[in-house]
Amino acid sequence: MWFSKILSYLRLARAYIKLNWSMQMEYRGAFVSQALAMFLNNGTWLAFWMLFFSRFPVVKGWEQSDVVTLWAISAAGFGLGNAFCWNLHNLAAMVSRGELDVWMLYPRALIPHLALGKMSATAIGDLAFGYFIYIVVVRPDLQHFLLFNLLVVAVALVFIGFNLWRGSLAFYFGQAEVLSEQWFFAMITFSTYPNCLFDGWMKVVLYTLIPAGFISGLPVEALRDFDFSAAAFTWLGALGVLASGAASFELGLRRYQSGNLLGMRS
Amino acid sequence: MEIESALMKPLKNAVETDNLRKVFEIKQGLLRRNAKSVVAVEGISLTVPAGQSVAFIGPNGAGKSTTIKMLTGILKPSSGTASVLGLDPWKQRSKLVRQIGAVFGQRSQLWLHLPPSDSFDLLAEIYGIPKNDYRKRKALLVERFDLGRFLSTPVRKLSLGERMRAEIAASLLHRPQLLLLDEPTIGVDVIARQNLRDLVCEWNREEGVTVFLTSHDTGDIESVADRVIVINHGRVVLDDSLSSVSENTLIEGKTAGLEEIIAHLFNSAASLPMQNCISPG
Amino acid sequence: MKNSIRQIWAVARVAARSNLAYLGEVASRTFFLAVILFIFLKLWQATYRESASAVIGGLSLNQMLWYLTVTEAIYMSAPRLAQQIDEDVRSGALAVRLLKPISYPLYCLSSALGERIVRFLANFATGAAVTFCLVGPFNCSPAAPIMLLVAVLLAFVLDGLGHLIIGLWAFWLEDTSGLLLIYTRLSMILGGMLIPMELFPDWLKSFVFFLPFPYLVWGPAHLFVHSDWLQFAQLVGLQSLYILLLLAVVNLIYGWALERISAHGG
Repeated sequence: MWFSKILSYLRLARAYIKLNWSMQMEYRGAFVSQALAMFLNNGTWLAFWMLFFSRFPVVKGWEQSDVVTLWAISAAGFGLGNAFCWNLHNLAAMVSRGELDVWMLYPRALIPHLALGKMSATAIGDLAFGYFIYIVVVRPDLQHFLLFNLLVVAVALVFIGFNLWRGSLAFYFGQAEVLSEQWFFAMITFSTYPNCLFDGWMKVVLYTLIPAGFISGLPVEALRDFDFSAAAFTWLGALGVLASGAASFELGLRRYQSGNLLGMRS
Repeated sequence: MEIESALMKPLKNAVETDNLRKVFEIKQGLLRRNAKSVVAVEGISLTVPAGQSVAFIGPNGAGKSTTIKMLTGILKPSSGTASVLGLDPWKQRSKLVRQIGAVFGQRSQLWLHLPPSDSFDLLAEIYGIPKNDYRKRKALLVERFDLGRFLSTPVRKLSLGERMRAEIAASLLHRPQLLLLDEPTIGVDVIARQNLRDLVCEWNREEGVTVFLTSHDTGDIESVADRVIVINHGRVVLDDSLSSVSENTLIEGKTAGLEEIIAHLFNSAASLPMQNCISPG
Repeated sequence: MKNSIRQIWAVARVAARSNLAYLGEVASRTFFLAVILFIFLKLWQATYRESASAVIGGLSLNQMLWYLTVTEAIYMSAPRLAQQIDEDVRSGALAVRLLKPISYPLYCLSSALGERIVRFLANFATGAAVTFCLVGPFNCSPAAPIMLLVAVLLAFVLDGLGHLIIGLWAFWLEDTSGLLLIYTRLSMILGGMLIPMELFPDWLKSFVFFLPFPYLVWGPAHLFVHSDWLQFAQLVGLQSLYILLLLAVVNLIYGWALERISAHGG
């Protein structure tokens, strides 16, 4: 029974991706240039790190290849998590504007259905970038590459769950969009710097409030040392973020449906 | 997933509500300590037989959208009960929405940069319509709504009238038993507007789809609705058949057209039912 | 000539005032700078510790952070000059601008300058507050702020001209955002925004000083942390040289643009 349900949602995902893709192809030039822009953007940071490591070969046990791996995981995970679930990125704004209502008129679970509604060209650029630098610069062997794929999916789930956290803010606060943006910025920034730089209370924060540790810490260690426990913890963290994200959204939605929100339009 | 409408036993009432009430607690102040209660809907009791075509109107902020949201399970009522298509909208929302179709004049369900055909395919997937049924249903809708000419044209290139035809057709793809139309003719030219109205009427008659129309256009109401329900200040202030209202209503001793009656009711400060403001002839 | 100066002053003043109104940005800017500077602090703390040296590239940790504060303030104050020209050309608002008695490039430059000065000062004030909390005060010589201001002003003119040149390509290209991205990213890396030029590898150092980028960001920041009159003179000289060069280029391109307008009817 649940198996056929999952299949049905997979088919739905395929239908949405097909449509989103057609739409991006209508404006092929913009799509390509946006994806390339991401490459350039991300590449700049890589250039910075290469300059840095050419002068300081090892910092806190991390070498250049570790930072490249970090960027690969980060970019690919972000790309995967956001490319096909782009509506979740602007969830707070959607909630504030009452746009959820229309989605609730469809016979599909709200979060998955809503998530699939939009695709992002820049995120696809990130996805491509991540894989590109991992394969070309780090040059992994087969087992590392397989582990990489596993971890990219986990990181994608972290980003999706995080987006749900951010989106839920709109159920509780008035200025949710601004808060949501700042939180997002913090997450993205910390996801692209080595987690080893932080310790003490900051490290705790990075595995809870700003779950970037599951992106810039554990997965990189997992790949560097081919460590299964680090990989397992990454997955645990990812599922935790996703589950709490979904829960907080559902709770917020219940609140929304009781109508106890500012700006409920009658 | 089966097309349930063919298998369901005939429904007597599409909508039954009993004292539906909705109170909003708006928390004010910096820490949201002061709560202000706003009664959006004050005890609405309606019975809409299956297959009826109802104009459900009211000024902005009158409680109209709130009522519809309660009927579709989006909002939870503060008190009272509702039964839509035999289902509890709050507890059985996902089952209910499978049988509801909705058209919003100001928000498109179709993907603007792609041809309507692509959006139809997506809707088939969303509603889980079996391939064969979908093919036949789509062919029927294309023929009846005359979409053939622009089925492969991107929606943004269509005229508003053409787009709304496609939108309404899309909303009927999954054979809904209840059709919500929210400002469907807004901005549409006169000829196309009449065409849309005729199509809705046809469909209402032939398939027995219950229609809930929200429109500020009295022409829409007169063409499409059998019954007019006016909501103001969270209450029903008029609930009568269209013919009754048109023929028998006097305002200050003179026969009034539908438009005048509605305007009068919208402006009425009191939320008293019709009899006290207007004397039926 | 006097007329032009008056015009520049008038336009710059209006632009500056309109940007002061956006004080709501303060909070998010503070947060942004706090996150970035904190991360930089952690990175350089680790680096200095592992180098077992109090001075790297002629900078102490304290100086390094203050250096980065200035570069961030400069980089974050970047104007929308190129994008504005792009929009003007595309929307046809250009026609309105051309009717005004001030030359179009001069107008763009002046308004961008006014905007930029205000934003820079705001960014610097905010960044300084953050950096003060992180590494304490900066012992600068009394000449430092003056040198900084002059160098920054010239840098802004130079950068403005750079943006102008890119923006003017809107007359020929469908989309200048790609060019702009390349330019800003090059400024970021080759301008020493993230890592001071002193730490660049020799091969890079050998040619980068022939490019204008170092004088946009590194130059002023370097002067702030190492107030030296000789270097000040050198920098101002180089900046002025590049300004004259770019002015000539702008003149040339703008001339072509005007021809193109009259040929195509705008």
